[in-house]
Amino acid sequence: MRKLGIVALGAAAALTLAGCATSGGTGASEDGAEIRVWLVGTDTPDEAREYLVDTFEKENPGSTLVIEEQAWDGLVDRLTTSLSGSDSPDVVEVGNTQAAAFTSAGAFLDLTDEYENLGGDDLLPGFVEAGSYDGKFYAAPLYSGSRLVFYKKDALAAAGLTVPTTLDEYISNAQALAAANPGKSGIWWPGQDWYNALPYIWENGGEIAVADGEEWDAQLSSEESLAGLAQVQEVMTTASSAPKDGNETSPEVGFCDGTSLQLSAPSWVKWSILAPADAEAPGCPDQEENLGVYALPGMDGGAAQVFAGGSNIGISAKSAHPELALSALEIILSDEFQTIYGENGLVPAKLSLADTLGTDEVAKAITAAAGNAKLTPASPNWADVEASGILTDLFVNIAQGGDIKALAEAADEEIEAILNS
Amino acid sequence: MTTVDNGLDPAPSAFEGERMTAPQPKPAARRIRRIRGGFTPYSLLTPAIIVLALITGWPLIQLIVTSFQEFGRAQVFGAPPEWVWFENYANVLTDPVFYAVLIRTIVFSAGCVIVTMFLGTLIALMMMRLPKGFRILLSVGMLLAWAMPALTATVVWGWMFDTAYGVVNYILVNWFGMEEYFQHSWLIDPLSFFLVAGIIIVWGAIPFVAFTLYAGLTQVPDEVLEAAQLDGAGGFKRFRLIIFPYLKPIFLIVTILQIIWDLRVFTQIFALQDIGGIRALTNTLGVYIYQTSIAGGDFGQGGAIAVITAILLMSISIYYVRQVTKEEEL
Repeated sequence: MRKLGIVALGAAAALTLAGCATSGGTGASEDGAEIRVWLVGTDTPDEAREYLVDTFEKENPGSTLVIEEQAWDGLVDRLTTSLSGSDSPDVVEVGNTQAAAFTSAGAFLDLTDEYENLGGDDLLPGFVEAGSYDGKFYAAPLYSGSRLVFYKKDALAAAGLTVPTTLDEYISNAQALAAANPGKSGIWWPGQDWYNALPYIWENGGEIAVADGEEWDAQLSSEESLAGLAQVQEVMTTASSAPKDGNETSPEVGFCDGTSLQLSAPSWVKWSILAPADAEAPGCPDQEENLGVYALPGMDGGAAQVFAGGSNIGISAKSAHPELALSALEIILSDEFQTIYGENGLVPAKLSLADTLGTDEVAKAITAAAGNAKLTPASPNWADVEASGILTDLFVNIAQGGDIKALAEAADEEIEAILNS
Repeated sequence: MTTVDNGLDPAPSAFEGERMTAPQPKPAARRIRRIRGGFTPYSLLTPAIIVLALITGWPLIQLIVTSFQEFGRAQVFGAPPEWVWFENYANVLTDPVFYAVLIRTIVFSAGCVIVTMFLGTLIALMMMRLPKGFRILLSVGMLLAWAMPALTATVVWGWMFDTAYGVVNYILVNWFGMEEYFQHSWLIDPLSFFLVAGIIIVWGAIPFVAFTLYAGLTQVPDEVLEAAQLDGAGGFKRFRLIIFPYLKPIFLIVTILQIIWDLRVFTQIFALQDIGGIRALTNTLGVYIYQTSIAGGDFGQGGAIAVITAILLMSISIYYVRQVTKEEEL
């Protein structure tokens, strides 16, 4: 009797505790599985999202597909924790320079057998390489987007300038614009935006890091890179009134309120600028006529070597429904879905769809820029360099007028420590 | 039951005819308690202990295990980790960056705790004197500040201090004519970064301190204060000699809780670093652990830093628990 009492007490206490924890956490039902797709940022147009959900649910009756939008900030951290957990999303987008961190760790399902099915040699070769590791294919290309220079046509005309044809002219244009419009940015360039600094380094013949056998040799303090960094500092300090420690999200704000006369940003920023004035992230559609765009010019004319931004997409190794996830991936790499990317100014994942970009100014600039695009060092540890904030810190310091040589040498040391760890 | 145990023999006293006796020895009391309680308290405690062991104990053991291993992103996804024992600890303890972060964290938390306690005490004292209506207004305001999630608060404060569009710069330039604050970056200089971070943290922590101390202040007997006032003790003297000693246990608990909370601060610093500032110069322990392990993918080393931090916090907690139990015994 006494013992029973103890058991009852224990059970009662346990039930009380359990009562606090049973709400929430409803699992997917047996035959109606739910596929979770992580898309990053606002790059993917709504039209494409709707197409993906509708097509998937038509092809897989009873199952549903949910798109969960993630932010680019802190993506590597979030993928590390979520892909390894039991509650992993099924299909995930990852930045092309970050892909190696996950393909090398075994976070993605091996898609080597599906390579032909997903597009084969028609897929963007640079991105296939970014999504492969050790001869196996893990993450397919999603889209590519080059950085373009957006400018206000009236401001350029008022200063008596024309679209620049060389990098030097681009810099002097920006300085002239800033001088003619005190308090405004000839090129809007917040200090944390290191992607935009890469063309200066590359055009001067410098590199971030080069492979030297097994080891990586960071090159930011080389003669050539330093020349590029000096140009970066010149632009940041004389032509930009953007916050010296700000980040590059929401470039449309300054463009729309008139304080940014030029800015270098991914091609889809055009749609942020032209978003309706009453949208959640409002733009300024009245500027459509005034919005000009060109590819960043190189040192000796032509397009500069810009950073080949873009995304890969893979299936989590922990996906509970890999077949359904593959079905979603097939839709994402279908011509129909990829065409929507092309029509919205993003380079589709397939070479054969390049002409969906159209023939307007943006399309021409994209084609010019994409032809000369370049990648960050191909090391599985590169994502850690990005996540550590070494590069954002470096350019924030440069934007403040810091000593370039000392800063670059310190950054080189830290980058080597991570790449060679 | 033939002999009656009266404990010690009665000792003689200075008063005639009086005998002093020691209290009954303790074991008797303990026996009674055990009979009364039986296993009930333990069976009631068991589920909570199991849950605690699962959600606090298990991760802690995992953390300690990880800190002795070479544990990178590949290991997160299933590769077998390699045991390196104290190598991670050696790396951390010989890294000057770690000491810089540690000292920065300690100095910053100390500043936050002092300001929080000072302002919290002042507000609690003010609440004693406010008429009811204003007191309720103030309480509601503080409750709202306390209920606001740290991330939301940081984003809102970040906007106020924004370089290009922030209200602080706007007011300084347009109302006070301080032109040097046009496009002034509040976060780029580490000192001013921590000023902003400190404002956000103190702002969020004051309500707890103020409410707790206010609750304590209502328990200070009025007669004692009145007597002191009649004896000519001024406001500060009354606080120092009467109120403070009465509330000492509360001050102690609140201060130590603040120290622990501020030493492991994460959200405010992490979110603020994204808005602006230089990460390498503004990392505190919490953010540094996150950056080393989760962003940098070196969970072993991050684990070692976390264990060192945990030991640091635990030594403070043990002091706190001991002080509290001492006060209870009195």
